[in-house]
Amino acid sequence: MFAARCIGISLALFVLLYVPASLAVSRGWGVMLRLFKPRSARSTATLLFALRVFPFALASVFTFMFTLPSFLLLEPRSTDEAVGTAPLMLGLSCTALLAAGIVQAALAQMRTSQALMKWLDGSTVMDSEVAVPVFRTGKNAPSLTVAGVREPKVLVSDAAIAALTSAELRTAVKHEMAHAQSCDNLKKLFFRFSAFPGMGGLESAWSEQSELAADDAAVLCVKDALDLAGALIKVSRLSTQPQAALTTGLLHSSTALGTRVQRLFSWQKKPVSTTGSTYWQYALPSLGGTLFLVVATYGSVLIGLHQVTEWLVR
Amino acid sequence: MQSIYRFLGRSPKTTLGPLEQQLLEELWTCKSATVRELLDQGTLKLAYTTVMTTLDRLYKKQLLDRVAEGRAFRYSPRHTQEELKKAAAGETIRQFLSSSPAASLPLSYLVEAVSDHDAGLLDELQRLLDRKRRQLAKEKH
Repeated sequence: MFAARCIGISLALFVLLYVPASLAVSRGWGVMLRLFKPRSARSTATLLFALRVFPFALASVFTFMFTLPSFLLLEPRSTDEAVGTAPLMLGLSCTALLAAGIVQAALAQMRTSQALMKWLDGSTVMDSEVAVPVFRTGKNAPSLTVAGVREPKVLVSDAAIAALTSAELRTAVKHEMAHAQSCDNLKKLFFRFSAFPGMGGLESAWSEQSELAADDAAVLCVKDALDLAGALIKVSRLSTQPQAALTTGLLHSSTALGTRVQRLFSWQKKPVSTTGSTYWQYALPSLGGTLFLVVATYGSVLIGLHQVTEWLVR
Repeated sequence: MQSIYRFLGRSPKTTLGPLEQQLLEELWTCKSATVRELLDQGTLKLAYTTVMTTLDRLYKKQLLDRVAEGRAFRYSPRHTQEELKKAAAGETIRQFLSSSPAASLPLSYLVEAVSDHDAGLLDELQRLLDRKRRQLAKEKH
């Protein structure tokens, strides 16, 4: 009964934090974006991902740092107390939420693996020396995409190789490599796992910004920018692209092609920043302050939280 | 929302008359009004009874809500302008798709039109790209 109460209370408090935090993020991410005004597509994508992860991270950290220790340290093991209706209902909703997330993520992973196996059938390795291996695929495969989570692979179809010049192909592959290096497919898997109604807008904004960030990473000079623009135009002329959940293709985004191409046309070399990221100037002191506060008040917070859980059980 | 579809489905009255449109737009701007308030704004040069009858017609078409206020009614739009436009576009596409005995035929026209539009955009972007490449080559020489 002690273990059941411990799990019930932990899950109940997890859902009590997770749902309001998710609602707040799904409504307020635009405000946060206007408040922080990130300077580049990469920092915008990072901020959006951090916001998307925030409710789950907050609820998990709180559960493991406060709820569980408070219960384990302060709840007498001998008491034969029932779980209580409210924690039971909340705990069950949390279990359902987590189970749905696990199923969604597992299905996405399974479908992607199946699609990848089909696409790789009869493929040849183009370049295995680079961090992410590049495969040449045949028909019925996407023109240019990075697929997979644990061991991502860049796939380039015969049609894309025939249509693109070598310079265009090089920048397009660099674009896909940038997606792999920033673990975009893993982030998509997390979106599936922590699916929450109303997060679609935030996720598509992240997807858009991660495309632009990968464009930025692939381009080092004006010629690269024009080559990538050329690759985008040529790939979009190829037939409809088959895709899977955990893949990121050259055109796999809600970002309008015209906007992306125009952005590449007006590409300019950015001055190298010597001051470093300004976020850390704020983030490090805030993090240090929060840690100090947690350590200084840990005992009293655990006692207070235990009283709250007692009230919840009654 | 269902009422919009019911209204739009009543062909051929899927389009509003000019006076109905004008009054609906006035109500979208001021959110809600009585006949007297609409006339007092000064933008409508119409008789009281004309406005009253037109608003009543819009109410019967389920495009307006009304509540009694003294001896008159206060009217407010049941749907936003965006909702009505979306529903109208949907209805147009539905009618377009059911306009031919061969179900796939209108859809193929639509795909063709969208593809033509896309192809036009790609051609335009390709022309811009070629121009930029020529510019870059000139700058290098």
